[in-house]
Parts: sequence; C-alpha cells; structure tokens
Amino acid sequence: MEKGQHVGMADTVLVKHPGKLVSLGLGSCIGLVLYDETAKVAAMAHIMLPESRKDKENPKPGKFADTAVPTLIDMVLRAGAKKERLKAKMAGGSQMFNVPGSKTGFLAVGTRNAEETEKNLKSAGIKLVASDTGGNKGRSVEFSTDDWILIVKTLGTGKQGI
Amino acid sequence: MEYNDFSPLHLDAIREVVNIGAGNAATALSEMLGKPVDMGVPDVELVSIYEVSEHFGPPEDFVAAVYTHGEGTFPCNLIFIQDEEAAQGMVDAMFISRMNTDGRDFPPEMRDSALSELGNIILSSFLNAVNRMIGSESISISVPGVAHDMLGAILEFVASIFAQSGELALLVNTTLKLDQEGTDIKGNIMMVPDPGALEILLSKLGVL
Repeated sequence: MEKGQHVGMADTVLVKHPGKLVSLGLGSCIGLVLYDETAKVAAMAHIMLPESRKDKENPKPGKFADTAVPTLIDMVLRAGAKKERLKAKMAGGSQMFNVPGSKTGFLAVGTRNAEETEKNLKSAGIKLVASDTGGNKGRSVEFSTDDWILIVKTLGTGKQGI
Repeated sequence: MEYNDFSPLHLDAIREVVNIGAGNAATALSEMLGKPVDMGVPDVELVSIYEVSEHFGPPEDFVAAVYTHGEGTFPCNLIFIQDEEAAQGMVDAMFISRMNTDGRDFPPEMRDSALSELGNIILSSFLNAVNRMIGSESISISVPGVAHDMLGAILEFVASIFAQSGELALLVNTTLKLDQEGTDIKGNIMMVPDPGALEILLSKLGVL
C-alpha cells in the first residue's frame, strides 16, 4: 500500500485534503472512516472492542465502538465538517478462526465490533454509505481524500474499492 | 490483578510453565515427523496491547496459524503460528514421514487438514503438560481452527483478548525448530490465557 497516515490499534487520526489514511492487517478490528467531502476532511478509527467499561479509565477512545464514534464526530466537526454532511465507511470485523461453537463468545468479537459500530453510527444519525465486514479474512484499508474511496485489500483476492 | 502488578517471580513461573509445555510439544512433533525438533528459550514479556500486532514483524506478512482453546482449570487460547512457507514445509515433512511423498500434488484441503493435525498435536501436548503441572485432571481442547492470513490480523485477535482486561498483553512465545535437509522450519507457540486465567495458573503454582 502507498504511504499515508498510519492508524494503529485504538488510534484515531484526522487528515485534511490532500491526505491518506492507512490501517494494515485488520482482523476482528474495524477501520471506520468519517468524512465530509465539502469540508475536505476525514478521520479514521481502528476499533478493537464493541463496548467500553464505564468503570474503567479509557486513555484511547478509538479502542471501543461506543467511544470511537463520538470521538471521530468531534474531530471532524472541529476541523470544519458539518454534521449533516458526514458520511461513514467501514471494513474489518472478521472472525479469523472458525471452530465449532464459536459463533458466540470471544471468537465472534469481530461480528460484535461491526454490529456495535453500525448501531453507534445510527444513533448518532450518520449515514453508513459502504461497508465490508465479516467473513474470515484479514484486511488492510486505505482511504484517500482524492476520491473518498475506501480501498480494501485481502491476501489472495486482491483489492476492491468501496 | 492487572498485568502491571506482575513481578519477575511471576514471569519466571510463567516462563517455566511454557518451557515444560513446549518441551512436551517438541517431543510430540518429533515423534510425529520422525525427526529431531529443537526448541528455543521461551520469551515472556509485557507489551502494550496497541503494539502487539506489529511486535513480531510487518502486519501484512503472510502466515499460517492453528488455533485451539483449552477449557478446564486453566482456560486458555493457544496459537501455533508460522510463515506460510514454513507451514507448507512442515506439512511436506509430515507427508514424507508418513507416506513417502511431500504431498505437493494433494488438494489444498488435504494439506490444510494435515496442518491442522500438526497444530493439534503440538498444542494439545503443550496444554496437557501445563495441566499436569498444576494437577488439573479434567481438560478439554476444542477442535483446531486454521487461518492463512496477515500476521497483523492474527495478532489483533490476541491483542483484543488482552484488551478486555487492560492496556498490557503478556506475550508468551516459544520457537520449535525442525531441521529439514539443512533448512530450518520454524514455528511459534503463543499462549494467550482467557481473561482472569493467569491468576488461577499462578496461584496453582504457589506464587500468588
């Protein structure tokens, strides 16, 4: 993948046009992008778990779906975006290992990550315009403010833009 | 107990457990392949969960991994992880020792099934030794799952398990090495306890 701003686990990163956001080797995690094409700004979070524990300190809001969504909204609004123009795209949330009985429990964390992210976007009133989640393959993602396309790469099947 | 409360004594105890587990796994693999298998000194280290997916190499490296979950007194996740090339080399070695062919013409499903069996033998031998050590009698081990994918995507799964408890991951990793006609074929065993399970292990070992 080409050079861009790297978004590591639990990170939230903002770019203004021209900019590119990259996250490599997403498994059960979600790469979520919020963007405003008019204000030419985008931010990505690399979400690890569905829900934060309210009783615990949370140094990285990008870590959980329920804290990453409001944090990304806040970041892009501060950079000039308008709430009603915000769009979201996401990829990831796969289940790397399939063993019998693993559709629930911890092995299914990817599915729950995708569901919680979607739920939080919906309750914030943000339109999810494209998503590529689930399955059992890891993904790398790249988002450029040139075309607002999220490129999803998997080993073996190549790249596709969503 | 948070991982940052772990003392050098705790880490030494865990290293000893891994050493015995891996020794048992190396013996089982060696019997299976009819060849000597060496093992490395186990690494036991505390790493920020956010750095786990890049800790062992570039996140897009192509690896093969076999996963199994052990239930019982000490519930834990075990992963046998290798470069894809090494995994295929190990499958060749298994076919050569059992059937006098490297099995390169066999369908991928059959080679995967062999890989899964190798992983199963390695990981269940590891877990049996650990459970014997802590005097646990009732253990069950899930059927193995196999993945061929990006290193980062596999390690993210490991990081997410630790992320449920806090900000640190205890990375427990040891290398098995097979000498195959002058080329080393390596694989690593990673032990990832379920949240809360390390305390059980340490108290059974009498160091907590």
